[in-house]
Amino acid sequence: MTELSLRLAVSLAQIAAVMGIVMLTVMILTLAERKVLGWMQDRMGPMEVGPYGILQPIADGLKLFFKEDIVPAGANKAMFTLAPILAMVPAMIGFAVIPFGPALTVDVFGITIKPFVISDINIGILYILAFTSIGAYGIILGGWSSNSKYSLLGGLRSAAQVISYELNVGLAIIGVLLLAGSLSLVTITEAQAGGFWHWFIWGARPDGYFPIHTQIFAFVVFVISAVAETNRVPFDLPEAESELVAGFFTEYSGMRFAFFFIAEYANMVLVSCVAASLFLGGWNAPYPGTILGYIGLEQLAWVENVAWFTFKVYLFLFLFFWLRATLPRLRYDQLMRFGWKVMLPIALANIVVTAITAYFFPR
Amino acid sequence: MTFKTWIKTITFYDLLVGMKATMSHLIHYRPITLQYPHEKRTLPDNYRGMLALLRYDDGTEKCVGCDLCEAACPSRVIRVVSAEVPGEPTKRYSKEYYMDMTRCLFCGLCVDACPVDALGMTREYEWAVYDKRQLHLNKQQLLAIGDRSFPVREKQLELQHPNVAFFNVAFKHLPQKPT
Repeated sequence: MTELSLRLAVSLAQIAAVMGIVMLTVMILTLAERKVLGWMQDRMGPMEVGPYGILQPIADGLKLFFKEDIVPAGANKAMFTLAPILAMVPAMIGFAVIPFGPALTVDVFGITIKPFVISDINIGILYILAFTSIGAYGIILGGWSSNSKYSLLGGLRSAAQVISYELNVGLAIIGVLLLAGSLSLVTITEAQAGGFWHWFIWGARPDGYFPIHTQIFAFVVFVISAVAETNRVPFDLPEAESELVAGFFTEYSGMRFAFFFIAEYANMVLVSCVAASLFLGGWNAPYPGTILGYIGLEQLAWVENVAWFTFKVYLFLFLFFWLRATLPRLRYDQLMRFGWKVMLPIALANIVVTAITAYFFPR
Repeated sequence: MTFKTWIKTITFYDLLVGMKATMSHLIHYRPITLQYPHEKRTLPDNYRGMLALLRYDDGTEKCVGCDLCEAACPSRVIRVVSAEVPGEPTKRYSKEYYMDMTRCLFCGLCVDACPVDALGMTREYEWAVYDKRQLHLNKQQLLAIGDRSFPVREKQLELQHPNVAFFNVAFKHLPQKPT
């Protein structure tokens, strides 16, 4: 009984820590996006709150917290309340299986825990895919229950878009799953240890350097589909400002709006984590082992691993901002054609090629 | 589709060109933003800002109540109530002078129309107010704007030539208009 309660306490502490880190990252992202976007467009971004505007996320949060909570007339109140929660919870819950650092184990009061992953379940990536699909329900319900044309159109677009690109995400990662032979993100990341040529984007076998199993096409498909799935520019049709006011959250205000907002950014962080784990070797450094391990600080090597993971995730997040600063929005038929007639065949061909190479040149 | 365009398509060449452009702007970061309330741009010399009524260096108002500004104004901003100067039957002044700055388009026609240069355009432009009735200015307010924007006042002209000296009606010691 005490062991059970201890495990519960440790899990809750881990969840609290990960939640805190994710929320902090979201706060940083809201500022970083505006700053990077501003810099790329010869502007300054927020400059007023705090030195160089670094306290802007806090000011935004306070503003959203104290704003009037408006439920539009004719809205389905229960669904209207449920939708932001339904959007945010799946975005947050996916972090349960993300390995932020090496898969070492620590003994705390007699029980063994993995400090860098909340729960290393053996269907990790499937779990993330399942929950990110649920996130689409939040958007669709939010659009429908607002009793507004624009919201409904945004929600419908989102439904079509998420379904189209969810498929591509699922197919793009199959090559990785074939190679790693596991759905657990910890196992997948461990399979890429020992230098950047073992990362699945390059795909050398554990004993070689030649990129026989390269997943670069799957990587490109995954990244593009991930941008589409998180409703980011250039695939931001569900919230197209110039056409649909704000899309599915047109009628939302205050903390409900903040929930959608946090969900969007948390989703960005989540897909960045997944992309880093699946294709860029997760916590593995681009060279074999760790520098801290070589100089005799083996027990501190996790610092370097976590730093590499953070670096890779932020690289992806920067890519999101970069795309947003550069690309205009796709037209709806272009979006669908691109998803079904370009991305899907590439992903399918990648599965076939990977399966053949994995059969003849097993890892 | 030629082979070259096909290669460009599958490598996202055009997108990469655009992303290179944005990245070069990020690296060579030269913002054109002016942090407005903290730093203000230098105004051009002929800037047309808030309107003001002016005074002579002895403190008397320049305005003679001729209504020409009211006639010149295309937006009907100005309303002048002209009256005789008490005790000086030939001299007039503006008893009341109103400007509805909500309508003003800062064309400067009233300033051009004024025969005695009693109107001036200051370089003030920060006139955002919460209540637009505050933009309905009376004579005292316009004179105050003129006082703070034009501290160096024009010396009152004393016309010497007998043909025009009758304009100096306030100076009773000057010669009368020749008959």
